[in-house]
Amino acid sequence: MRPMHEQFLETILEGRARLASRRRFLAGSAGAGGALALGLVGAPRLAAAQDDATPEAGTEFESDVDVLNYALTLEHLEFSFYRDLLPQFEDELGEDPFGDSIAERIATIRDHEEEHVNALTATIEDLDGEPVGEAEYDFGVTDAATFLATAQILENTGVSAYDGAGAAIEDPDLLTVAGQIVAVEARHAAYLNLVNGVIPFPAAFETPLTPDEVLAAAGPFIVAEEATPEGDDEGDATPEG
Amino acid sequence: MELAHDRILNTATAVGSRSASRRGLLRGTAAIAGGGALALAGVPAFRGLTSAAAQEFDGPVDVLNFALTLEHLESAFYRDGLASLGAEAFTALDFQPGVFDYLSEISANEATHVETLTAVISDLGGEPVEEQAYDFGDAFTDAEVFLTTAAALENTGVEAYTGAAQFLIEEDELLTAALTIHGVEARHAAYLNILTGEDPFPESFNPAATPEEVLEIAGQFFADNADATPEGDDEATPDA
Repeated sequence: MRPMHEQFLETILEGRARLASRRRFLAGSAGAGGALALGLVGAPRLAAAQDDATPEAGTEFESDVDVLNYALTLEHLEFSFYRDLLPQFEDELGEDPFGDSIAERIATIRDHEEEHVNALTATIEDLDGEPVGEAEYDFGVTDAATFLATAQILENTGVSAYDGAGAAIEDPDLLTVAGQIVAVEARHAAYLNLVNGVIPFPAAFETPLTPDEVLAAAGPFIVAEEATPEGDDEGDATPEG
Repeated sequence: MELAHDRILNTATAVGSRSASRRGLLRGTAAIAGGGALALAGVPAFRGLTSAAAQEFDGPVDVLNFALTLEHLESAFYRDGLASLGAEAFTALDFQPGVFDYLSEISANEATHVETLTAVISDLGGEPVEEQAYDFGDAFTDAEVFLTTAAALENTGVEAYTGAAQFLIEEDELLTAALTIHGVEARHAAYLNILTGEDPFPESFNPAATPEEVLEIAGQFFADNADATPEGDDEATPDA
């Protein structure tokens, strides 16, 4: 039973390697060596993480609620990023290569992330789980260029996170919904690649990432666990301050 | 327990019905209404899927063959269409030359998907469905039609994978692998939406399609007399 799956993954990895060289050819320009892989220039940890690209799909989660909360954590991160930072930079974003307003496209993306947050929160509650709240973030964004670059990292990481966690979902309906969300994240990622001058589809296969790998990429943005602690004392309830 | 799913599914379903009209647009072209599905009935991999029981796959190989059928369609479409049109057809539409390069990259992606799925199905002891005879109408002579058709194929592909993923729920590794293809199809779809003047991400939840719904759209591209003679398959007598 195993060998065929291994072969599958092997084929995928081979395909990826082949595309990588084609991509290098396409990208032509610089000595962009390894970072190209996900289009995640500026996300060194992620680039490194792909080297052992076969995460044990779905071994880390205890329940569907766990998976959904993991997804919700990332959706919070994305939504608050756009909500808080788009107003600061929307006037400087200009047009994409096809003449459309980048700010308007990103406003749509922001609305999608909000809908994902709301839907996941409601679902977790209905499943009697406790939805994770928004945390406190620091994206280190200083200008329009870093805003767009960070958005690109967030969206591409989001796709990898869902792909890495999908197999852990036990309920078919929830799996379908996760699929409906990740497809939209992939569409966002394609667009953000485009406006950052990176090919929207940098490989024939997405790169699934384990929660640890995703944390390595997204973790640096998270400053404190809860933006507004709700009297929850499951752990080091006293932050540094 | 059901409440949970209801909520999120309702959102998703509402979205799904909206997308039906987008599909209508494509189907609009001809009186293909029923013919498409019929043409497909002759394709081995699809037999059974066209029945009312289309919601069910007969094991992982079936799901993978369903995916492979669509990947063949896409791969052949780009391979033959781009060769026929050439780069000039797209610059003539005022696109930058890079657009042709990106379309060529999509073509390469689809070819890789075909190769991979074929290898996996073989390894699973299954019989990989083969490329069929297709009819893409004017798409190979008119770049605008080509792009509209490409957008339809990609968006349908995403919906197909989204809808079929749950049938791999017992096969974690295959499911993960399918998801990694699914995301790439969504990237293609976003890009082709842009090229056709559409929103790259028209919904917050991507619609999911049943095999039947996929057939309605993909079916129209299968040549009527698709020489659906698989190598050594002799379940050649359809139920009719």
